[in-house]
Amino acid sequence: MVKKSTKTAAFALTAAALLMGATACGSNNANNTSDNANTGNTGTNAGGNAAAGGDKNVTITFQNIYPDPATPSYKMLHSIVDQYQKDHPNVKIELDSLNTDQQKLKLKTQAASKEVPDITIVNPAAQMKPFVDAKLFAPLNDMLDQNGLKDTFQKGLLDYYSFDNNIYALPDGNNIEVVYYNKDMFAQAGITATPTTYEEFLDDVKKIKAKGMTPIAIGEKDSWTGSFLFMNILLRTNGGPGFLQDVLDGKKTFKDPAFTDAVSAMQDLIQAKAFEEGATSIDYNTGGNLFKTGKAAMMIMGTWETGAIDSSTVGPKVGVFKFPTVNGKGDPDQFMLAPGSAFAVSANSKHLQETKDFLNYFMTEMPKKQFELKNAVGSGQIITGDFKAAGYSQLAQDVLALFQNVKGGDLAFDNTMKPAIAQAHLSSIQNMFVQKVDPAAVAAEHQSAFDSNK
Amino acid sequence: MNVLKVPARTIAVFVLPCLIIYIGLVFVPIIVSIYDSLLDWDSINKAKFIGLDNFKTMFAHDANFWPAVRHTLMYAVFSMLEIPICLFVAALMNRYVKKANTLVSIYFVPVILSTVIIGQLWKTIYNPADMGGMLNGILNSLGLESWTRSWLTEPKIAMYCLYFVSLWQYFGYHLLIQFTGVQNIPQEVYEAAKIDGAEGFKSDWYITYPMAVPIFKISIVLAFIGSLQQFDLVWVMTGGGPAHATDTISTHMYNSSFLSLKYGYGSALATFLVFVCLVFTVVINSVFKKVEAKYS
Repeated sequence: MVKKSTKTAAFALTAAALLMGATACGSNNANNTSDNANTGNTGTNAGGNAAAGGDKNVTITFQNIYPDPATPSYKMLHSIVDQYQKDHPNVKIELDSLNTDQQKLKLKTQAASKEVPDITIVNPAAQMKPFVDAKLFAPLNDMLDQNGLKDTFQKGLLDYYSFDNNIYALPDGNNIEVVYYNKDMFAQAGITATPTTYEEFLDDVKKIKAKGMTPIAIGEKDSWTGSFLFMNILLRTNGGPGFLQDVLDGKKTFKDPAFTDAVSAMQDLIQAKAFEEGATSIDYNTGGNLFKTGKAAMMIMGTWETGAIDSSTVGPKVGVFKFPTVNGKGDPDQFMLAPGSAFAVSANSKHLQETKDFLNYFMTEMPKKQFELKNAVGSGQIITGDFKAAGYSQLAQDVLALFQNVKGGDLAFDNTMKPAIAQAHLSSIQNMFVQKVDPAAVAAEHQSAFDSNK
Repeated sequence: MNVLKVPARTIAVFVLPCLIIYIGLVFVPIIVSIYDSLLDWDSINKAKFIGLDNFKTMFAHDANFWPAVRHTLMYAVFSMLEIPICLFVAALMNRYVKKANTLVSIYFVPVILSTVIIGQLWKTIYNPADMGGMLNGILNSLGLESWTRSWLTEPKIAMYCLYFVSLWQYFGYHLLIQFTGVQNIPQEVYEAAKIDGAEGFKSDWYITYPMAVPIFKISIVLAFIGSLQQFDLVWVMTGGGPAHATDTISTHMYNSSFLSLKYGYGSALATFLVFVCLVFTVVINSVFKKVEAKYS
């Protein structure tokens, strides 16, 4: 009997043991980090001392998340860094390449001891705010004005890295949410032009459905997918970006008509059976595959999917269009944005000016390199050039053309709101896929989650 | 105890390493978890001590908590209801099947598959017919189109679909345990009963079932505890969705701690789970003590 209750206890505590595990990992990492940080500093000091007049020797530590030699990002990073070191023999760039998760942990521990590397990587908006509040990063405004760097970025993108009119980080990429569609299936349903209003869009959905095909593929078991689409509708019904920010600032509530209209519009889509049957048990990859194997006519997703669609069987048949206006509201050139991780410069850097100069060069070169490496889709900077001649696919060219006119937009719900509110939102949206709901009730659900997690 | 005449100190030295690991991995985390349940903590920033507020929220304000408890307990009820059937089948097999071991091994196959595989397998079976769902396909070909549905996404039936998979998965496991129990009943007892005129189902009723009670209890406890910790299958098949319709206490705990980043609240749920486990284990044991006393 003792044995059995022991088993009971043992099971119940697995959860608690997880906690222990987390703590252990944390402290391990802290040790590693401080070791590394120390060696880094010694190097820097030695370099500084050895300098005598003229061009002093400088070592810049560059923490990054491109450790995989097979990726274009790795090649881009190394070729720019090599070039810079060749041109500036006195500058040594020390690369600290880590996996995304490792880097997050390492930076957190480094931040705790104010030992942030000269250049590091942060995520946009809410996620980088704690670091900015702790005054760990140097403002980059002056540097952005040099060589016209600022103008290379897409409009509005830098806002997600700005606090109090200072820009603290420069993004390595930006994706937007678009509608991919299968041209063959559209033709079969007798659709001649891509929709520009929500009414046309719903109409097309019904036409495709009438032919016995699935109009839109979605992987709603991973509930962020439905939310990403919903937020795009909200971006339209709100007549522009900033709804969630207004809620956070107390200027609006979730009971605002913009929000309930978005819920109704989303509901119309679901009730028109726009999505595959049983969508809430389909995960993200399976949902994507429905589209990529020609079983669904549309997929509404971030442009990071472009490469995967290109290499799928339906690749040559796929086109892309902007999400339509809803109830005549919104600007189709505003997109749901997924701004990438970004380079920030440590405020305590021993070689602040040199680091800024290097980053300026790096960011100026990056678009060119990305273009050569056929990695231009999803760049945060405006890339021009003859994509066709460079061997980009028609789809990639079309997607890139959309990027040219991006006029800002919104971030995903969970990038803007606290995790607990985001979870309530995600399950509330998922619920719409399985039953008809009253938009006012959805709004009330959101508002109460928001109020209880302020 | 001291058959080998070893000094107590030596015993202590040999037992200590295990004891320390056991305490470190079982009791310390329990205590830490109970303490964490009193915090308002997102696992990143500083924790705030809030006393029993997490439990207040849990019992009174969390709309997803009681449904999760109900799903978990229903899970336990269904898995325990399966055990008598296992015992019945075991008794039948023991009497009528010659090479019963082979059959038991076949029943046992689902147990050796990983839960993730089982989850994916059944997810495909439950899929809508146009996505290759086998169940709906069979219903269609039987002309029962009106019975077809999207099994895992209708909030009212999704949970039952999950119960069924678990029953299927663990049937062989409990059958094996019960079969072993039945086989261990001495043959002489049956022979004696035969002389007294008890054969077939009569001997089952008066001999097999009462004598299998201790093994029966093991299965019940295992089934109960196994259902309370039900996480992996639910996570693979529905992720607790759609919209919490298939949440169990464990998935709710995971959601709260790791997705909503309410670590303190997640710990409160864990504490509740420990408490439920302990209480029910005591209850089950005392019930069986009475049952055993009656038959022995």
